[in-house]
Amino acid sequence: MSYTITEKCNGCGACVRICPAEAISGEKKKIHTIDADLCIECGACGRVCPQSALLDTEGVACIMVKRSEWLKPEITLSTCVACGICIDACPVGCLAMSERPREKGVDPFPYLKDAKACIGCGFCCRECPVDAIAMSKPVKAQKTTSEISKDGTGEST
Amino acid sequence: MNKPYMGKILMVDLSNGTMTEETIPDSVYEQYLSGMGLGAYILYNRIPTGADPLGPENILGFCSGFLTGTGSFFSGRWTLVGKSPLTGGWGDANCGGTFSPAIKHCGYDAIFFKGISPKPVYLYVKNGKTTLKDAADIWGQDAVETEETLKKQYGPKAAVAVIGPAGEKVSLISGVCTDKGRIAARSGLGAVMGVKKLKAVVLDGVQRIVTHDPAAMKRLSKHCDKWAKFPMPLSLLPGSLIALVGTFLRLTTVLFPFDGLLYKTILKKWGTGGLNQLSIEWGDSPLKNWEGSNRDFPLKKSAKINPDIIKNAEIVKYHCYSCPMGCGGICATKGKYAHTHKPEYESMLALGGLCMNEDLDSLFYLNELLNRAGMDTISAGATAAFAIECYEKGIITKEDTGGLELKWGNTEAIVALIKKMIAREGIGDLLADGSKIAAAKIGKGSGEFTVHAGGQEPAMHDGRNDPGFNVHYSVEPTPGRHTLGAGLYYEMFQLWKRVKGLPRPSLLYMKGNKYKINKEKAQSSAACSKFMSLANGAGMCMFGIFIGIKRVPTFDWLNAATGWKFTPEEYMVIGERIQTLKQAFNVRHGIEPKSNFISSRAQGKVPQKEGANKGRFVDVEKLASGYWEQFGWDTTTGKPKEETLKKLGIK
Repeated sequence: MSYTITEKCNGCGACVRICPAEAISGEKKKIHTIDADLCIECGACGRVCPQSALLDTEGVACIMVKRSEWLKPEITLSTCVACGICIDACPVGCLAMSERPREKGVDPFPYLKDAKACIGCGFCCRECPVDAIAMSKPVKAQKTTSEISKDGTGEST
Repeated sequence: MNKPYMGKILMVDLSNGTMTEETIPDSVYEQYLSGMGLGAYILYNRIPTGADPLGPENILGFCSGFLTGTGSFFSGRWTLVGKSPLTGGWGDANCGGTFSPAIKHCGYDAIFFKGISPKPVYLYVKNGKTTLKDAADIWGQDAVETEETLKKQYGPKAAVAVIGPAGEKVSLISGVCTDKGRIAARSGLGAVMGVKKLKAVVLDGVQRIVTHDPAAMKRLSKHCDKWAKFPMPLSLLPGSLIALVGTFLRLTTVLFPFDGLLYKTILKKWGTGGLNQLSIEWGDSPLKNWEGSNRDFPLKKSAKINPDIIKNAEIVKYHCYSCPMGCGGICATKGKYAHTHKPEYESMLALGGLCMNEDLDSLFYLNELLNRAGMDTISAGATAAFAIECYEKGIITKEDTGGLELKWGNTEAIVALIKKMIAREGIGDLLADGSKIAAAKIGKGSGEFTVHAGGQEPAMHDGRNDPGFNVHYSVEPTPGRHTLGAGLYYEMFQLWKRVKGLPRPSLLYMKGNKYKINKEKAQSSAACSKFMSLANGAGMCMFGIFIGIKRVPTFDWLNAATGWKFTPEEYMVIGERIQTLKQAFNVRHGIEPKSNFISSRAQGKVPQKEGANKGRFVDVEKLASGYWEQFGWDTTTGKPKEETLKKLGIK
């Protein structure tokens, strides 16, 4: 299965730039195409397309969402077992394992290291075997367990 | 239907730089899974009979686990496969870290290399594009430096497997490193990579790994997590008291089947180093090149490697991909290197007790030094111990060692010797290919002091204490291996709870029963091998599956991931098939299975006069015969019978 591009495409190239799988190609100002073998269905193209030219795997047209409103992972450390599956699942590498132990315990903890790179695909949430990750709308100064929000940088775009 | 495998492999011919993607039929996965199974299938069919392990015809494969990336736990191990230059037969080495899922994210279940590159290169795979790149700049760097250089260039998400200087110099005891010090060390396959002039494999893909029934996978994983977390009072004990468990096991005459939850507790708190003192006390650790006993390394000495001391150096725990337990750790060290992966029990005993070295700082240092060099700590320590015995017995002199006083426990000399081995300098050149080859070059009866099985130095578990180790050291297609079976392992796997017809140990038994040779022993050894072959196909971690087959539901994960409805017995046949194929590989390449029996010293042919294993002799010949019978291999030669190969569909 793969996302597809309709003739609404104006060839702006926004999807090409965000696609983590390098699955989209096309000349500027011409209709782009998606290589179905490479598409990982992360949906990032659909969220950036100003033309709603992207159809998801069910054939439903995607709607553009302001990047500041994209869902971000929130990790509940009391449930997290530090297995690193979320970090591996992330197609853009925005999650990382801490180099120091968590506050209560000796294990490291995964955190959103590069919030700006997060494409809100939710793979981390879906693949977490113990359901320790929720995808939620970022709130400024919100208290989460991730280091990035602790030092107050938040996810402003 | 969604399947957890990618269905494709990449074959790289380093001689001419061609790269071919091949589709693998579903039936191969149904018979062999992927990981070591797929590796064995490809190598058995494609390496010509009698090929030189260091020649262009040998094939080196990086194989991802079948269950890797499926949301199952303990399933992040990959297997390096090739014809071993150390043993001349089937070779594989198993490693954790993060490399296993990276292979699948590139769209392959395995990546194979044949031929020899005219100049140093590395493979870079990014989103479906594969390139061989010039490695002139990184050739000569150690494993950690190389990884750092490549990650700087390709980003932290790239997974990197590299050889260090030991592999480059074709040391037959070298391996392949990932994650700054996780190493696929055994079988000497680093030398194959080195001779092929392949410095590294860099993988950066995003392909998804899917399963037939994700909800069932998650349900099973939660069940597993419950047991991985299961609290045990053992964890409240200080490290020094864990040693006394070993003393108790040595002195007691009545035993009970060992439950893996106990070992899990040790692993979770201390890592494998939790065994340091326990194993010495028990008689599990070989000491002084397998001549010594626990009396040579009493509690007063072993207190220096008390697990608590090692834990104190730990900054943070290290979890391999998909591991909820985290037996690893990142430690602070003194001296040149700031950090090292927490030294494993094997490394500490091989470089410590086996050489009678008591200096903990040197163990941390040597651990990092060898990881960076990409040299097997077990074989390096065992070869050093052999050299020390040669020196002590006057077979080699100070002149031969370049001035080193190679005496038992001389830390300084041991460190200097290991450095020479890595650099292949002076006597180090002689020792860099392991103890068997060194003894052949030294002569003068030194072969008497080498402890090896088919050329491979066995791990730090004494088969005179648990005869199961001696069975597996001797009969496995990869001889000298401690990660495939033992009496203790059989008890922890608890396979009888799921697989029909397997013997169930009694709740209490006399210790003497451990040393009896009977059909039950043969059945349990064979079951261990079959199950571990399956596990190595699935990419499962042995420490995980020690927790028990019902608690870590390997069979059920396999069914949920694929939609197959195989019974546990049918899965055991897959393991049996993989094991038999590896044995058939050995036979095809001229290995006489009997020639792989472990050295007589470790069998106790001259029994020890004191200590935990006093008076013990393990009759490997008899045990092997029973084991071979279980597999339908000839009971006198160990070669798979025609009808066995036919039954398993091996051509």
